[in-house]
Amino acid sequence: MIVGERKPFEEIQERVKDYKSLLVLGCGTCVSVCMAGGEKEVELLASQLRMAAQLKNGNVKIEEATIQRQCDREYIEPILEKARGVEAVLSLACGAGVQLVADMLETQPVVPGLNTRFIGVAEAEGVWSERCRACGNCLLADYGGICPIARCPKGLVNGQCGGQKEGKCETSTERDCAWALIYERLSKQGRLDKMEELAPLKDYSVQLHPAKQVNEAYLKGEIEAVHQ
Amino acid sequence: MRAKKRVKQAKKLLEEIGLEPDRVEMYNLGASDAPMFASACNEMTQRARDLGPNPLRKEKAG
Amino acid sequence: MGEPFEPKVVAFCCHYCAYSAADLAGSMRMEYSPNVRIVKLECTGKVDTIHLLQALAEGADAAFVAG
Repeated sequence: MIVGERKPFEEIQERVKDYKSLLVLGCGTCVSVCMAGGEKEVELLASQLRMAAQLKNGNVKIEEATIQRQCDREYIEPILEKARGVEAVLSLACGAGVQLVADMLETQPVVPGLNTRFIGVAEAEGVWSERCRACGNCLLADYGGICPIARCPKGLVNGQCGGQKEGKCETSTERDCAWALIYERLSKQGRLDKMEELAPLKDYSVQLHPAKQVNEAYLKGEIEAVHQ
Repeated sequence: MRAKKRVKQAKKLLEEIGLEPDRVEMYNLGASDAPMFASACNEMTQRARDLGPNPLRKEKAG
Repeated sequence: MGEPFEPKVVAFCCHYCAYSAADLAGSMRMEYSPNVRIVKLECTGKVDTIHLLQALAEGADAAFVAG
């Protein structure tokens, strides 16, 4: 999932201070699961903003809504009317969601309430960690399912750097050395011989940004053509 | 304990908007802890007295 | 405001422990602050941060969870 983190309240407050009415818009997918921008967080932030406004004797109308996904037009459409009734939208989606909402509203400001951090997993209750850098050329099969691009700060694809100490990375004693993990995993799988293989130069050219993907089977024109 | 974490989070959120975090608290007690319950009530009432009225209250009082 | 300030305190109580304790305090004729209003819950695990915020947003001067 995409992991996000709520921006400091002060920053949010500063960004929305000029608006007299606001829609706090949550996203029910990734950021909801990582407890940053779902229905519950919308409720808390809206409540905080209302209380803060009241403390300053300000009169701000704060609306709330949470949709299934802010990265899909069809989910945004139903709340467009509500969004047009306020001065600005405070979106608790990832950067992609914020942008699509802004695209669809066009004339109204959309303010991000989160910082989008990474693609990761829930490591434990309340803990999320990065697992994928979206490099566009997945090599997990070679590394026992542990990504050295995302989990080694140096992104080394041919073994550890030598800074590893007792399984921890030299950049932080809190961080596991990805290559120590890969070694252990391959050992458990009886595939330690993989460690001796030399990885070819990684093709970073597929990582050109901004990336785009097209699946012809689902293109609207194609579907119509099939039915003719 | 779940409630304790929620109280802690509420304290943080209150602090962010400029309300005293001491206005919320968590007490652990057993079913027969009547004296403890009474003292929790007294303590929180005293705290509220010390902190003064909740600034969010004035509109309603008027 | 000439009247002295009387705080309003909300207590979120677990049905099985704190509420029983409150009940017992009553039957033991213990005296405690009359400013407390009790909200009984099935379990304090049910308390969410939003409930505490809302209690204060609605004008309570303090709120506590007991369980």
